[in-house]
Amino acid sequence: MAYSKDDIEKILRERLEATNVTVEDTSGGCGSSFDVVLLVSSAFEGKKPLEKHRLVNNALAEEMKTIHALSIKKLLTPEQYSSQCA
Amino acid sequence: MRSTRAQPKVSAKLALGSAFFQGEHLVKEKKSRSVAKATSPTTGQMGPELKEALDKFVSDNKLVLFMKGTKDFPQCGFSNTCVQILNQFGAPYETVNVLEDEAIRQGMKEYSSWPTFPQMYIDGEFYGGCDIMIETYQSGELQEEIEKTMAS
Repeated sequence: MAYSKDDIEKILRERLEATNVTVEDTSGGCGSSFDVVLLVSSAFEGKKPLEKHRLVNNALAEEMKTIHALSIKKLLTPEQYSSQCA
Repeated sequence: MRSTRAQPKVSAKLALGSAFFQGEHLVKEKKSRSVAKATSPTTGQMGPELKEALDKFVSDNKLVLFMKGTKDFPQCGFSNTCVQILNQFGAPYETVNVLEDEAIRQGMKEYSSWPTFPQMYIDGEFYGGCDIMIETYQSGELQEEIEKTMAS
């Protein structure tokens, strides 16, 4: 099945207990390519970039079978996020 | 039986290492045979021989980019981005075109536990995909890592 950006946001919210998620469909609506623009989760605390990316990839393991490209921009801890917004 | 017979071919090809990857003609000559099923696409199980060949290849070459297309003709925007980044450093690097070999393409996803390409290896270790390359290039960490590796 094809996923919408809302599906992906919902999945990330649930599986990573993300407090803030912004996903964009970069495939023009066919659901094959997404940008994770921003994801805020306490799961990222103390993690290196590779480990953070792995958390996201693993959370979407099932969906990745049909998603062609996933680009991950900003992965922040709640603390990093609030200091950025302050 | 077919899959067990096909495995050594692919690993033997990889084991040729840089000599193989530097010679495009070799890739073309072997192409018809090399798409042997060293992994079973249905189960995604990687043969031990392919794994060994990959272990050897990424440890023999300090910088390896598994990508779609070649350095001179990347066939995917993300792969192209990584090539452009690596070209900034002037350090020699190997590329492996995963579009040329379905066994490597599927095998690398499992080998790196990473679902997409490109995949960057530095000093035998998986470093990350395109986003991590961009992030660490901008922060200067990538340059540090490459300089450290090339000096070792």
